[in-house]
Amino acid sequence: MGFLGKGLLEGMAVTARNFVGSYFDKERLVTVQYPEERVQVPENSRTFPFLVYDDDKDRVGTMRCVACKICEVECPPKCIYIVMDRDEKGKPQQRPKVFDLDISVCMQCQICVEVCPFDAIKMDNDYEKAQYGRFTELVERLPDLLKSNGYYHKIKPTEATAVDARLKEAAEKKAKKAAPAAKPAPAAGTAAATKTPATAKTAPAATAKAKIEIPPDAPFTPEQREWLGKFLSTVSVGAAPAPASSKAPAAAALATDVAATAVPTADAPWHDPALGIQQRLDLAKSKPLADKLMAAMAQTDCHACGYDCRGYADAIASGAEEDLSLCLPGEAETQQMLEKLTKEAGKA
Amino acid sequence: MIQPLTEEKHYTLTPGPEGLIETQTLEVSIGPQHPSTHGVFRMDCVLDGETVVALKPVMGYLHRNHEQLAERMAWLGSMPYTDRLDYFNSMTNNWAYALAVEKLAGIKVPERAEYIRVIVGELSRLQNHASVIGFMLQDLGAWGTPLLYAFREREKILDLFEAVSGSRMMCNYFRFGGVRVDFDEQMLNMARDITAKFPRFLDEFEKLLTTNEVLLARCQRVGILPKELAINASISGPMARASGVDYDIRKVDKYGVYGRVDFRVPLGDVGDVYDRYYIRVLEMRQSIKILEQALRDIPQGPHVAPEVKLRNFKIPPGDGYGRVEAPKGELGFYLVSDEGGKTPYRYHVRPPSFINLTILEDMCLGHKVADVVIILGSVDIVLGEVDR
Repeated sequence: MGFLGKGLLEGMAVTARNFVGSYFDKERLVTVQYPEERVQVPENSRTFPFLVYDDDKDRVGTMRCVACKICEVECPPKCIYIVMDRDEKGKPQQRPKVFDLDISVCMQCQICVEVCPFDAIKMDNDYEKAQYGRFTELVERLPDLLKSNGYYHKIKPTEATAVDARLKEAAEKKAKKAAPAAKPAPAAGTAAATKTPATAKTAPAATAKAKIEIPPDAPFTPEQREWLGKFLSTVSVGAAPAPASSKAPAAAALATDVAATAVPTADAPWHDPALGIQQRLDLAKSKPLADKLMAAMAQTDCHACGYDCRGYADAIASGAEEDLSLCLPGEAETQQMLEKLTKEAGKA
Repeated sequence: MIQPLTEEKHYTLTPGPEGLIETQTLEVSIGPQHPSTHGVFRMDCVLDGETVVALKPVMGYLHRNHEQLAERMAWLGSMPYTDRLDYFNSMTNNWAYALAVEKLAGIKVPERAEYIRVIVGELSRLQNHASVIGFMLQDLGAWGTPLLYAFREREKILDLFEAVSGSRMMCNYFRFGGVRVDFDEQMLNMARDITAKFPRFLDEFEKLLTTNEVLLARCQRVGILPKELAINASISGPMARASGVDYDIRKVDKYGVYGRVDFRVPLGDVGDVYDRYYIRVLEMRQSIKILEQALRDIPQGPHVAPEVKLRNFKIPPGDGYGRVEAPKGELGFYLVSDEGGKTPYRYHVRPPSFINLTILEDMCLGHKVADVVIILGSVDIVLGEVDR
């Protein structure tokens, strides 16, 4: 070391270099004048979840969420609250009536996205969520949460293309599986003809041949409208989606399986989520216990219980699984029916 | 009637110089809302004039019931909560927890995932050490300059973390048996760019600080932690190494790919605040060396073990302890799984900040109250981890 104060002078030279450099060197000046200037967030960036729907004309009808409540259960801080929609007869509609997300509780961990087998919930990257109130303002309700697949493509193009490809593949698999099942199971066939909610939900690209119009009152800016119009036109002519990227989440394989299996077959004509629980049980009336139990399930094959519907029923029938409360989408109705059926079987 | 802050009474009259009145000690409560305590932390100091004669760290202002929460939650559900322990290094927190679960469940991690873990872990160490030096200098009175230089570099690393994991600080990036998102070529290049440019920043940083006379005068021979005491108090991490304890879990356990990477463990000899500062600079240089090797050798392959389920993940009964060399020291998770195995029966965190902080009084005794602030700064605590 040299004279006393050499270190100080050297340090001051460094600060001077940084000060002058900050006018010329981008490496040294990293400040962004925030409200005027914005940094482009990376594609993986995440803030709060939203629910994806496919068609602007029918937001609630084409919403991918089936109210299976897996995310509600898996959410670590428990910020999601779901109530399944039912018609006037009390039949489950396979979509949420209430879907509340408390963003003051949500910790943006993305676990709901990873566990969702239906690709229904995804992470947004909108970070400007400040509100003037503390209570109801910070609870996002179903209408706030619903965002289009077009929006999803806009914020996360690679991921959304991979999801679309996966859902299309699942829909094709399902269609293939459903075709031979239609003949031997006429009851299921009529049900499928009246309403095929799952198919419509998962594959708009496959079924929608006509050009999709954006309603004039849809809340979009002109740029968004133009972009969305372009996007929808490619969808309606059936453009081939880009190959799935390696970034697909770990639940990908499960999603394909799940969406492909929930369809009535010759062995299980009741395996149709569109039927009511009583109709399903009627179909399985003369069958062994495992089939009856299966008919009592919600038929979404959501894996909320850890099995598919068939697997859970077999596990209960064989005694391997004793917990009868695992069918989340079936709610109390299924649990009561399972209790009743197992009790009857025990007596016999 | 004012109650004394500490349990024993420290008020003792000390006779003043010839002919002057006797003086008495003074109790000062520094914190919990004090900028130099790095969060909500309180020190009850007993001062004789300006000299510290007793000091009690008071913790618990940020207690969040982390361990009990985890015992009521699926194994995966605790992963985002571990981000919030040492919120500067969510990557290494995730790593320690994932390692403990993998040990318990017997999961094998693919090669590429191991490399990715080393890369994000070492990047995390770089940004932690750079900013802790900045904070320490802030405590010394160098307002802003070193801290903001450090934060400028940290920002680039956080940008990479955001691109990879989706979040800058609460990464929630690790999964049992791998990591959540694969590094693509663009992200690897970002990491290479940071690794290539960081030494330049470090040289500049050292020029600003290492030989600075003010820093030398304030840090040398201050807050000495003897080697024997460091070992007996189970101090770990850069603090122990600054006192000359040759103990680095990366070398001892050789977890991840550290067994195959060439790097050295820098050691201090005095164990004062200056050594703790300089050890961190040297560790950053070693981290860059590790990063260069890891980024060169990273193989192709899966980034997560495909057989590990996200949901309904169960672990057979047993117990396991997983630990990593976090930037602050040994971070360990002790987990017990019992019948059913859906949630941990016991979940215990061994946080480095907390255990390193227990020795604070021994380092502060006999020093001026102004030195207490830099001694605390050199311990490198994050209150999220101290209190859990």
